[in-house]
Amino acid sequence: MTARVASGQAPQALDSATAAAIAPIVEAARAEKLPVAPLYAKAREGQVQRVAVAKIEAAVRTLADRMRAANEALAPDASEQELHAAADAIKSGVPAETLRAMRKAGGDGSLAVPIGVLTQLIARGVPVERASMEVVALLQKGAVARNFIALEERVRQDVLAGRRPDESLDLRLKGIIPNLPQSAGASATGLSASSPKRPR
Amino acid sequence: MHDINEDSDELIGRIVSELKTLPPVPADATARVLARVDAARRSETPGRFSRRFIISLPAAIGYALAATLAGFLIRGALPRRPEPTVAQVPNPPVAETLGTRTTIVPASANRRALQEAPVKVQFVLDAPRAKSVMVVGDFNAWDGSRTPLERDSTTGVWSALVDVHPGRHVYAFLVDGKTWTLDPRAPRTKDLDYGTQQSVLMVGLP
Repeated sequence: MTARVASGQAPQALDSATAAAIAPIVEAARAEKLPVAPLYAKAREGQVQRVAVAKIEAAVRTLADRMRAANEALAPDASEQELHAAADAIKSGVPAETLRAMRKAGGDGSLAVPIGVLTQLIARGVPVERASMEVVALLQKGAVARNFIALEERVRQDVLAGRRPDESLDLRLKGIIPNLPQSAGASATGLSASSPKRPR
Repeated sequence: MHDINEDSDELIGRIVSELKTLPPVPADATARVLARVDAARRSETPGRFSRRFIISLPAAIGYALAATLAGFLIRGALPRRPEPTVAQVPNPPVAETLGTRTTIVPASANRRALQEAPVKVQFVLDAPRAKSVMVVGDFNAWDGSRTPLERDSTTGVWSALVDVHPGRHVYAFLVDGKTWTLDPRAPRTKDLDYGTQQSVLMVGLP
């Protein structure tokens, strides 16, 4: 397991009612060797927005479930940053199969940025299946963090200029893919913009 | 029989005779020689100077033996340091070599750690009338006290530099400790857990 920093972090600045409500969830996560700092952070996020304790407890429980699923999908050695990103992606509707495909395609590089960009593309309005397929294909072609950040930034500018998110994704992939190290073997992946299908 | 004492006496007599025939030494000769040696020493180059420190082989061996002996004595007098321990990692790959136990960190972990190293991100908010501004987000566990922004007295702009890991992050500003304020310079998203709006930050590698 990759080092997960601050996973045993104390419940800083949590009121006693919130701390007591989430304690069993945190203990269960700790027993499964999941990082617990994100659970405390989720509780703190609710508290700083003056959310009711019951709602905070539900949010922390849901996050623990998402982290469990993310940990399983990114096995055997997900970093805390990857788990954080993957849990957010699952919240946005990204299936565990996509995360597994990303781990397989991404080799031993960090997936924190690619998963984050996938989540943001979906948040912008790109359909989940389409965004998932393209991100996996980019990883298979050797795309690295800066390629993903560039893609997200260009799509953002296009959407601000009035273009549809999926149209913008099509357009901007044409500018990124030819510069990737394995773009010549792209057809071997069986994935293309014209044949969207969920990665397995 | 040849008498050795008689031969010695004869040899000493001859030496004394020869010395008596040497020319007389001037009275200031010693002073002049010393002055010239002193002048030569001052004008020596570093290379020439260093040559004066070349020592003979027996002397070098003697110094080395003395230093080794001193080392043994000092080591024996000092308390021994405990042997270095190795962190316990669940099922780590281990190399055993002559009693040295080494934990091998997977290369993938090193590469990921490098790619996930935090970078400095500047947060900026124009709030000239605010008394305090903090940034709260998933990068600081939503704890505003960790990252207060500083006000520029001439422009009224608040800013802070924060260490953030590469990836997608959500955040907001807390103005005067209570007002949830979105970043006008950043995209927004709705948090599905609490239903609130948040600003989005994408961080790449440095």
